[in-house]
Amino acid sequence: MNAELQMKPPVEVRYRQELEALKNSDTGKKPLNWQLSPRAVRTFILGSSKPVHGKDGDVEITRKYYGNDTLVERCIVTLAGNRGLMLVGEPGTAKTMLSELLSAAVSGVSTNTIQGTAGTTEDMIKYSWNYALLLDRGPSREALVPSPLYVGMEKGIITRFEEITRTPAEIQDSMISVMSDKVLNIPELGDEGLLFARPGFNVIGTANTRDKGVNEMSSALKRRFNFETVLPVRDVALEKQIIVQEVSKLAQENQIEMEVDEDVAELLASTYHELREGVSSYGHRIDRPAAVMSTAEAVSVFYQTMITGYYYDDGQISVDCMVQNLLGAVAKENRDDLEKVRGYFNTVIKDKSSREGGLWTRYYEARKWLR
Amino acid sequence: MDQVLRGQEVAEIRYMPVRHHSPACAYHVRQLIREWEPDCVLIEGPENASRLIPVMVHQDTAAPFAIYYSYRDSKGYVSEEKADYRCYYPFLDYSPELAALREAAARGIPARFIDLSYGEILTAVREGKGLRQGGEKNNYNDDYLLARSAYIRRLCEKAGMRNFDELWEKFFEQNGLYEDRDTFISHMLDYCRQARESTPREELEEEGCLKRERYMARCIQEAAGSCRRVLAVTGGFHTPGIQELLAEGDVKLKLTGIPEQDQGVFLLPYSMEACASLNGYASGMPYPAFYQQIWEGIEAGRERPYDEAVLNGLAAVGKMVRKGDGLLSSYDEICGYSMAQGLAGLRNKREPGAYELYDSVLSSFVKGAWDLSTDQPLRCLQAYLTGRQTGKLCDQAEVPPIIQDFEKQCKAYKLKTGTTLEQEITLDIFSSEKHRQVSMFLNQLVFLETGFCKKKRGPDLQKKKDRNLIREIWRYKWNAQVLAALTDVSVYGATVREACTARALQSMKEKTGGKEAALLLTRVFEMGLEEQLELVYGQVQRALLEDEDFYSVAEALSYLVLLREMGELYQSSIDTEPLLLICLRKLTALLPGMAGVQEEQTQACMQVCKTLCQLTGQEAYAGEREALYQAFVRITEQRDVNPGLDGCVRGILYGAGLHSLEDIRKVCAGYLTGTHDQLMKSASFFRGLFYTARDLVFTGDGLVGTMDRLIRRLDSQSFMELLPEFRMAFSYFTPREIDQIAGQAAALYGRKKKELFALKEVTPAVYDYGRRLDQLAVSMLAEPDEGG
Repeated sequence: MNAELQMKPPVEVRYRQELEALKNSDTGKKPLNWQLSPRAVRTFILGSSKPVHGKDGDVEITRKYYGNDTLVERCIVTLAGNRGLMLVGEPGTAKTMLSELLSAAVSGVSTNTIQGTAGTTEDMIKYSWNYALLLDRGPSREALVPSPLYVGMEKGIITRFEEITRTPAEIQDSMISVMSDKVLNIPELGDEGLLFARPGFNVIGTANTRDKGVNEMSSALKRRFNFETVLPVRDVALEKQIIVQEVSKLAQENQIEMEVDEDVAELLASTYHELREGVSSYGHRIDRPAAVMSTAEAVSVFYQTMITGYYYDDGQISVDCMVQNLLGAVAKENRDDLEKVRGYFNTVIKDKSSREGGLWTRYYEARKWLR
Repeated sequence: MDQVLRGQEVAEIRYMPVRHHSPACAYHVRQLIREWEPDCVLIEGPENASRLIPVMVHQDTAAPFAIYYSYRDSKGYVSEEKADYRCYYPFLDYSPELAALREAAARGIPARFIDLSYGEILTAVREGKGLRQGGEKNNYNDDYLLARSAYIRRLCEKAGMRNFDELWEKFFEQNGLYEDRDTFISHMLDYCRQARESTPREELEEEGCLKRERYMARCIQEAAGSCRRVLAVTGGFHTPGIQELLAEGDVKLKLTGIPEQDQGVFLLPYSMEACASLNGYASGMPYPAFYQQIWEGIEAGRERPYDEAVLNGLAAVGKMVRKGDGLLSSYDEICGYSMAQGLAGLRNKREPGAYELYDSVLSSFVKGAWDLSTDQPLRCLQAYLTGRQTGKLCDQAEVPPIIQDFEKQCKAYKLKTGTTLEQEITLDIFSSEKHRQVSMFLNQLVFLETGFCKKKRGPDLQKKKDRNLIREIWRYKWNAQVLAALTDVSVYGATVREACTARALQSMKEKTGGKEAALLLTRVFEMGLEEQLELVYGQVQRALLEDEDFYSVAEALSYLVLLREMGELYQSSIDTEPLLLICLRKLTALLPGMAGVQEEQTQACMQVCKTLCQLTGQEAYAGEREALYQAFVRITEQRDVNPGLDGCVRGILYGAGLHSLEDIRKVCAGYLTGTHDQLMKSASFFRGLFYTARDLVFTGDGLVGTMDRLIRRLDSQSFMELLPEFRMAFSYFTPREIDQIAGQAAALYGRKKKELFALKEVTPAVYDYGRRLDQLAVSMLAEPDEGG
């Protein structure tokens, strides 16, 4: 499918140029079946200060993941080793993005994915059958419908398992022997029923620790993974930078020709940061809302505000609209959160408005929408 | 290499810039001495510690140990406060300074310290900077100079390192081991120059760096006058500064001239943990046990010391986790090792180091989301990297006099030292002179906060509790921290006793309240510090005179009275009389102002009045009696006087014959016939009255009748409100007196006292009924609840 026709093209399509340039100039040692060397994978995710020579000229490698560089390094080394990689953390901490980036850089493809839900069954993880062919020809490779795990083992690429903790514990456990023996048994195929994983195969799981409806992983499965805990961004300036960058990317993809207002982004970043940390930059103590205050949420609030401005307000971003969107994002689970946000406006934003004026005052006046 | 003209010859000076805790620097400095064989070795460090060098390099001395410096600013050179200062200079096996000293000693090369003495450094440092930062433990080591500039922060960012220590490990510790010496030194110097250039000169001045460097340069110059080859081992940050000074020619410097007796310098066994905790101030290197292993690896000529230390670390942490309740397999350790290897490759490091070890434990040993419940492996790792090793000094080591005194006394009193098991001792402090001495000694150790001993039972003068006890039971436990704590206070004096006196005087200066002063006096009393007491005594006097708080002075008075009472038992010669007199006068002056005292403080105030009255009853204070009574009279004359206090004071005045029974009765009637609010105060008044003059009830017939009239006037609600106060009022009487009062009360209603005791008979039928009722209730409760 043409990239322009996709709502959200996969990472390997979006960054094709960068990946090709890195491949072109990569001189490092590669684990078997990897597209890039570990060092080049690192560069792809964390960016490089110098452009990289591609076939069609120099390509700048942008930083795609912010926060913890050593975590990315550990992830890469884990994937080259014998264990799977499990990214855990609160919602909206860019676990999925990191897992996509890693598999696109390592295997050249980020779409070999199992999307875990409460309804996921063992055959979705391993394999199922095309019953027409099965009846016609009996159990054979042609009649078998491979799962992403099967594909990963067969081709020696990475299989992503999204939201692994949402699948029931016994279904999760069907991964255990595959992860340790690197072989999948298909008894229906008789003597040919053994699928040995090719080098390069590995699993990146993502799991949520804070949501309702997640299942604890068994310790046997835990032992097959190295865990990396992804923490929310702790730095306001960095959070602002992420908002600006992500929103620009979204705008570009959706052909919205509008500049990202950095001041407004800062406003939003500090709101999210302060509500998450429970303390303002002036030192006010703040009641923290129960809802998840992730950077990803902030990006979506900002982007929503921006497209409203683009389509309805002649390309002007409105603080009022942002407060309305903020309300929608925060007051999801219970009404108490609304009170907490209102309290935040009446203390922190009020104070900032009187000290700094300008945009902060407009922001403070927009509190009327919090109802 | 610099050359200095030395008579006809030219002296060679070589500079070895070092970081204080660094195996690579230690390795290179040792090799340099071996190969170059200098005529003298000069080491950065306060020069007054030079005499300790033979002990430091003695084969029986084992690192970690620290040089302990103390300075008593008796002349006020540092600041007007004339405070006491102290700091530590820790050494590990891999400290380049120690490696240099050991190597020099092994080759018979003279070595000495060349920095300003500790006191001189302090005079050059602005308050709150460098060695005058307020922290608990000041560290002479100033490696933080290398790590703090903006330049270094940017460098770490660029190199993808999380902090300076990781950067250092990669470029200097690991790469440095494989570089030839001259390259290593030139890299060090380049780096240190950069760090120095991004530090403002004013800051160097304020932290005393410039003066120190001038002094060190001068020492090097002097050495160059008499030696052909001079090796100067100094902190990397200072080396470029010293080189510049020497290039300019003769170095001039004016010293303050600190008196020798104000400075103390001792060696002290130290622990790895203390070395690591010093790193809280970003000085020195983290993970002492890890780098100790590296150093041992280097000494043993291992090819990949870091690799080996990481592997050992993973195995050791794995074992520690398993010993706890963590589940960890050998396979986890294998994965951890391959993670460390992989990370080292990815990060372009020669070998995995401490940071790869950390990352691999985090990644391979922590199962599930990383939080408090899962971070046991990381805690184990922290403990492993820090280590538990402690140092030891050889027999020739000079022990601080206070520790000598401590050990002498322990021996004399047969207190067990050298074992860390807890011991218990019972002391008959009043019957045995020796036991009293032991008790004094233990009290002194408590006062110095050594953590050596704790009183389990015995008279508690501070809380005024258990004064009837005649024995003290103490628990004590010897350990290395006791020695460290004693060394900490060694700046106060050469014996435990002296230190206590100095400490007592110092805290006296800090505390100004009369109560605190008197409380301190009780401790001085327990410690038996009588000969040295005069100064403390004067301070208490001043504190009492300055104190204007009634309760504080009153509290002080009660402590003083206590001391006077116990003086004989404790065989103390403290003369409390003058102090008591001060309190007495002060309280007399403050007393009239207390008339309107709050309800909750009535009791305390009444207590003070009674004590004062009792005190002036004694011959020694009879002269104060009149003034006191006048103060009491002035209380009664005030309008809104607290009823309890009013009663109490009138009771005293009645006892002194200044009030007649008639006067008292009038006042009682006044309360009783007053408005409702006044009536409600009457119980409180009686309470006060009975507190000081309970015999009033038994003189004549008046008071019981008066009270009866009062009670009859009350409605039941008011009676219930007043009841607690009445109960309180009568609690001052003895059972026999209560019996007597009851008799009087009965007589008012034409009853005899005996009749009060006559009980009405209860028939067996009533008991039986009660029993059955009880049984019925029990059975009903026991029945299961049927049908809801």
